[in-house]
Amino acid sequence: MAAPSLLRGAFRRLFAGLWGSGWVSPPARTLREVVEVTEGNTTIIEGKIIEDAEAPTPPNPSGQCPICRWNLKHKYDYVDVLLLSQFIRSDGGMLPRRITGLCLEEHKKIAACVQMAHRAGLLPNHRPLLPEGHVPRKPKLNRYLTRWSVRSAKPIWKRGPKWCKVPMPVGHLLLKDNVKYVYKPLYYNH
Amino acid sequence: MASYTKAAQQWATFARAWYLLDAKMQPPGKIAAVTVRRLEGRHKPIYHALNDCGDHVVIINTRHIAFSGNKWEQKVYSSHTGYPGGFKQVTATQLHLKDPTAIVKLTIYRMLPKNLLRRTLMQRLHLFPEDVIPEDIEKNLLQEIPQPHIVPRRLDEYTPEEIAAFPRVWTP
Repeated sequence: MAAPSLLRGAFRRLFAGLWGSGWVSPPARTLREVVEVTEGNTTIIEGKIIEDAEAPTPPNPSGQCPICRWNLKHKYDYVDVLLLSQFIRSDGGMLPRRITGLCLEEHKKIAACVQMAHRAGLLPNHRPLLPEGHVPRKPKLNRYLTRWSVRSAKPIWKRGPKWCKVPMPVGHLLLKDNVKYVYKPLYYNH
Repeated sequence: MASYTKAAQQWATFARAWYLLDAKMQPPGKIAAVTVRRLEGRHKPIYHALNDCGDHVVIINTRHIAFSGNKWEQKVYSSHTGYPGGFKQVTATQLHLKDPTAIVKLTIYRMLPKNLLRRTLMQRLHLFPEDVIPEDIEKNLLQEIPQPHIVPRRLDEYTPEEIAAFPRVWTP
């Protein structure tokens, strides 16, 4: 009933606190596949441990977060959907940091890139579920490198004189330190 | 050069060519920069401002242009009818829904040199919202201009082999 589960919960939190100041998690259980076998009168429901394929060793195993371990620190963008899709849920939201193991700045950068990829339409299958969802929507306009959400951006009615124009932001400032392979400066305000 | 007659080479040098440009998923500014260069004739070694050596450019799929940033909501196109109270301001979204070729047309018009040749060069520009082109224009086309902006691949455009080949960066 309620009391034993509360106690168990309290015990777990106690032990979790005792496991050190860092994010040392308790030993994780592997994924199991539920297999149901019916033989005449008896039905056996078994959870078989799935043997995961060996994950390839990252080039820099001494890194703290997956990005540092794979030497991708300033090298990804909103276009690298194969990398970004590993950090999102099936409805498009980001996975929490304590699960993925990213450091704070990389988590924010990946979140910004995922938002830009969603707005560019690069992740068409990671949409939130709409039960009745009116399918014919108003025509979607193509866009890319969108920093702000579509609904929150307001028109700039007066841009101002040439020497102090109100800028239209493009891209995201968190990605300012990305590696550039051309010597042209990247403009973040158009 | 080697085996052409002088007449044929002169014809080929001074003829007016027709170029095709696909504006799908392209920013209108970059489209305009490439188009203006061809319309003026600056891509030819025989260029001179008085030479009238520009070419025709046909732009298709103007309905599917892509603005970077939040310009669809933030960019405002203004005009005045000349009458009092006639100041009209329209966002890029509204203008595009009203007329899908207007944004590209205005961008190119404003990028051309501000002289009397501008109107003639605009007459050599042909804009189409979809990829349906009249037959007589289609017969004239010589070459396609490469797209200025590299269109990123969507997640469902990657093959399952490529997705499997990409390593898992973290394990749960």
